[in-house]
Amino acid sequence: MTQEIEIAGLSKVFGQGASAFRALTDINLSIDTGEFFTLLGPSGCGKTTLLRMIAGFEHPTGGTLKIAGEEMAGKGPNARPVNTVFQSYALFPHMTVAQNIGFGLKMLGKSRSEVDTTVAEMLRLVRMEPMADRKPSEISGGQQQRVALARALAPRPRVLLLDEPLSALDLKLRKEMQSELKRLQTETGITFVFVTHDQEEALTMSDRIAVMSAGRILQLGTPHDIYHAPAERFVADFIGDTNFLDLPVTAISGDVATLTLPGGQSAEARLPAGYLPVIGETVTAVVRPEQAVLGEPGSGMLSGTVASSVFFGTDTHLHLTLSDGQDFILRRQNTADLPVPQPGTPVGITLGAGTLRVLRS
Amino acid sequence: MAKSFSVRRLPGFGAIALATFVMLYLPIVVLVVFSFNAGSSQSQWEGFSLQWYAAAFANQQVQEVSIRSLWLAAVAAGVATALAVPAALGTTRVSRFPGQTMIYALINQPLMVPEIVTGIALLIVVAWLKVHTGYTGMGYLVLAHTAFCIPFAYLPIRARLETLDATLESAASDLYASPFQAFRFITLPLLVPGIAAGFMLSFVISLDTVVITEFVKSAGQDTLPTYMLGQLRRIITPEMNAIATLFLALSLIFVTAFFLITRKRG
Ligand SMILES: Nc1ncnc2c1ncn2[C@@H]1O[C@H](COP(=O)(O)OP(=O)(O)OP(=O)(O)O)[C@@H](O)[C@H]1O
Ligand SMILES: [Mg+2]
Repeated sequence: MTQEIEIAGLSKVFGQGASAFRALTDINLSIDTGEFFTLLGPSGCGKTTLLRMIAGFEHPTGGTLKIAGEEMAGKGPNARPVNTVFQSYALFPHMTVAQNIGFGLKMLGKSRSEVDTTVAEMLRLVRMEPMADRKPSEISGGQQQRVALARALAPRPRVLLLDEPLSALDLKLRKEMQSELKRLQTETGITFVFVTHDQEEALTMSDRIAVMSAGRILQLGTPHDIYHAPAERFVADFIGDTNFLDLPVTAISGDVATLTLPGGQSAEARLPAGYLPVIGETVTAVVRPEQAVLGEPGSGMLSGTVASSVFFGTDTHLHLTLSDGQDFILRRQNTADLPVPQPGTPVGITLGAGTLRVLRS
Repeated sequence: MAKSFSVRRLPGFGAIALATFVMLYLPIVVLVVFSFNAGSSQSQWEGFSLQWYAAAFANQQVQEVSIRSLWLAAVAAGVATALAVPAALGTTRVSRFPGQTMIYALINQPLMVPEIVTGIALLIVVAWLKVHTGYTGMGYLVLAHTAFCIPFAYLPIRARLETLDATLESAASDLYASPFQAFRFITLPLLVPGIAAGFMLSFVISLDTVVITEFVKSAGQDTLPTYMLGQLRRIITPEMNAIATLFLALSLIFVTAFFLITRKRG
């Protein structure tokens, strides 16, 4: 696979002297051609800043940025093969839907007939043919969103940058547009760099995710990796629900550590790459609530009692207290004949092989 | 729930409001009414007639000063507006730079310095220039009116620019527009209401100004308001009312257009 975007050692400092603010620190990324790549992180972590640097609106304070193998330093937004879908859509209010979509092609000096053909094709792609002659103020938010997408796709950029494009939409429309976006990306084969702070959106749509916090990339991987093998506490906490257990290390072999569970039993847990605790050290291990299985008292590796339970329809969340007092959440699939355990009930918990993982500390 | 404060419930509000409106509009109403008087009195109604309008239209001098006023206003407003566009862009569409407030103040000088002071200053400089260059043409009036009009053109354009989302310009450059193309296809068309408003306002201001013209003009360069002022020193006939009424109508047209344009922006 070829690399569409290569970012090395990129940093951004806003302002100077005492008021200087380091928005991005040592960002290293390479994004493959045709990939759906997501920048995920809490508000203020630098997602927009990174996107704006790829687009050319902001200039890095250090590091390099290449698009399609070409160094981008000194190139303005109009000289980069990249288009942006803005969070506010930024449709031109004095132009019709069709004129908006055709704007990029017109600026590229394409012939009238070529512009018209592509605009028609884009209108079809985003299912907006009947509204070609309306002004942006005369269409709904979801429709404006589609036009913004079509406008950015029309010049066939190598990369499409999307800054929280769905955040202004209501839940139903949002779900619809998520699959629509995915469809457009597959159909066009264009590399998407997608910004969101919604972990579920990131997990369902992306080929790979970069989890950011405070201007750094903490972990980069497939949704599966990020969810099942979070490397740091922040990542594990930010994505989904997680049980954190503080456990002593009794042995290490390769990238697997043997830990002592509350109650005295031993369990094996995978170590994150490049992290080697010493024997006897207490490390933080995680297990997802749906990966633990509820059993009879005495069964499994852990024992505890039910503190409370919350019914969610498809599943029930059980809040357990382990024998050493640590909290543990367990998610159990519901079936009609399965009773919900009452608070105070003693239970055993089975952890499947490979479900327990050690975090870098 | 407590009612919010309303100035309308203050005692005497109605009376003060009424007195204000009477002060503002009654004299104008009287002026307009007597422009249609059949006699030559300003106080005795002698029947309806358009004779004073006929007289005003037939008056060679009135024609001459009106035409001069109109073209002077058109040129001054045109040039002032053309200068105000880059001035507004340069003070809003850039990151803050030292001296920005200073420039803002300088552009708006005519709003802050008393008109009579500007007038006297211009008188001194223009008199000196006339002596040393020998040139006594309309150029001085055009320059003085243009400079005086700039803030009136600048302010509506700047106000419009400030409400314009700068992301639109970013979007244009993201879509391969050069800075000039982004201006030409995005900023300029969206700025048109501001530009039109700025032009209207400075046109009316130029048409209206007496003090500046009075101090700068050479012999035979009267504008409509300075001509009217000159005539008032002699006997006043309702012909002056007719001219004033027409002048008022013209100003109203421009001011109304200004409001319609600025209101539509939302
Ligand atoms: N022009 C600027 N000058 C100074 N600081 C800035 C500037 N732009 C952004 N920042 C700061 O950089 C940090 C990152 O901002 P950024 O907009 O990239 O966050 P984000 O991850 O996109 O957040 P959100 O999810 O809220 O959009 C913030 O703390 C912000 O205050
Ligand atoms: Mg952002």
